[in-house]
Amino acid sequence: MIEVTNVWKRFAAPVLRDVTLRVPQGCLYGLIGPGAAGKSVLLKCLAGLLRPERGSVRIFGQAIESLDEVSLQAVRNRVGMLFQNNALFDHLTVAENIAFPLRRRGITDEAEIAARVADRLRAVSLPGFEQRLPGGLSGGQKKRVGVARATVTRADVVLYDEPAAGLDPVTSQKIFDLLRREQQEAGATVVMVSSDIDRLLTVTDRVGMMLDGALIFDGTTAEAQGSLHPVVKQFVHGEVDGPL
Amino acid sequence: MATEEEGPAAQTGRAVLSLATDVGGAAVLAARLARRMVPPRLDGPELWRNLYRMGVRSLPIVGVTALFTGGIMVIQAGVLIRRFGAEGLLGWGAGFTTLREVGPILIALMFSGRVGANNTAELATMTVTEQIDALETLAIDPLSYLILPRVLSMVVMLFVLTVYGDVLALLGAAFMGDALLGVSTATFWNGLLDAIRVWDLATGLIKSALFGGVIALSSSHYGLSVSGGAPGVGRAVNASVVASATGIFVCDYLATYILQ
Repeated sequence: MIEVTNVWKRFAAPVLRDVTLRVPQGCLYGLIGPGAAGKSVLLKCLAGLLRPERGSVRIFGQAIESLDEVSLQAVRNRVGMLFQNNALFDHLTVAENIAFPLRRRGITDEAEIAARVADRLRAVSLPGFEQRLPGGLSGGQKKRVGVARATVTRADVVLYDEPAAGLDPVTSQKIFDLLRREQQEAGATVVMVSSDIDRLLTVTDRVGMMLDGALIFDGTTAEAQGSLHPVVKQFVHGEVDGPL
Repeated sequence: MATEEEGPAAQTGRAVLSLATDVGGAAVLAARLARRMVPPRLDGPELWRNLYRMGVRSLPIVGVTALFTGGIMVIQAGVLIRRFGAEGLLGWGAGFTTLREVGPILIALMFSGRVGANNTAELATMTVTEQIDALETLAIDPLSYLILPRVLSMVVMLFVLTVYGDVLALLGAAFMGDALLGVSTATFWNGLLDAIRVWDLATGLIKSALFGGVIALSSSHYGLSVSGGAPGVGRAVNASVVASATGIFVCDYLATYILQ
């Protein structure tokens, strides 16, 4: 479903180094690693927002770095994404933000849109927030609206960048449980970046760890938890002493 | 960013590169927008929303600026008008300078400060908070949805506001001419209509459309190319206002030379 092959990307310095990764269809893949390891950049490459200098990113069997604008938009219609900063549109209400992807995909039945928005708001425990503007929401509420927008179209591939950042532990766990439930119901392929390792590992099927732009580990969640790789072991278990 | 070790040549080179990057970036943006005009690919509701907030909401500030500009021109010209007894030339003088130069330039500068700066701040904030990226992942072309309606709105509304501002500036001049110099409004309007050609009005309006394009492209370019989080937004707005003002004067010089 998602195949990343020998991808290189650099800005001032290399941020992705020869990354090769395969995420099977229907898999919830957790991407972990310390700050500035290249996780968000890899996620943006998967979304087609950044093009790698070398290597290939294939989604639905199509190499997205070589697609033209029209073909890329067709791929993006099947991809949902939650951004680290939520990226809610400031001038739209909560309901309009969540309905935005539906309208842009040509759904015009207002009753259907309202029902799906209400369903998403119930799922993220924000019923009654329809007419609020993003500026009037707390960080956690914005995050939940972002999750609602990312999941409203039931996309085939969903990318989450820090879905629980800034949330209290209880809400974080609820969000992770919700995302897992959504993924299983929709059969979606999910790649999730999170610093909340403990909770992330409760929902993932597979895990990859990045360090300095390279993928240093790729395996099942159980393999990650039992890894003897010193960096992976230290990071997964949150140990203070170690190579990091 | 300049370092302490850099000499004048390196700093000059860096400044030239920076200028070329910004001018080139705005030119590339213009070319990408032009491609979306044939056939037109833009968001209708966004166009109307921007026409309203950029145009209608600028009416008060443009109106005040124009009225006082007309008055100031009469005060400045008053001494010479009285000395030479040239009351009949007041309408021509006020009309010529207002329609060809002062009106388009001052209104464009006010428009740049209000609308251009706001446009840069909005786009830069959307860029650093990943809202532009979010549009792309939703399979929406940000240039068609977001930028093209803003650029068209700025060009159209600056043109319309210049017409509105010209009228108010001339009314202000006529009023002040009567109040300060005793030049009757009939004398003022006769002097204006006898001497002013349609081309004088057209020259100012052509300039206003050019200025609208300059403000739209520079404010959008700096908004989209921002980096560095919230401090970057402030720097982008500052750079946009300076670039717009500089662009307006450069364009004015070229247009005046070509259209005279």
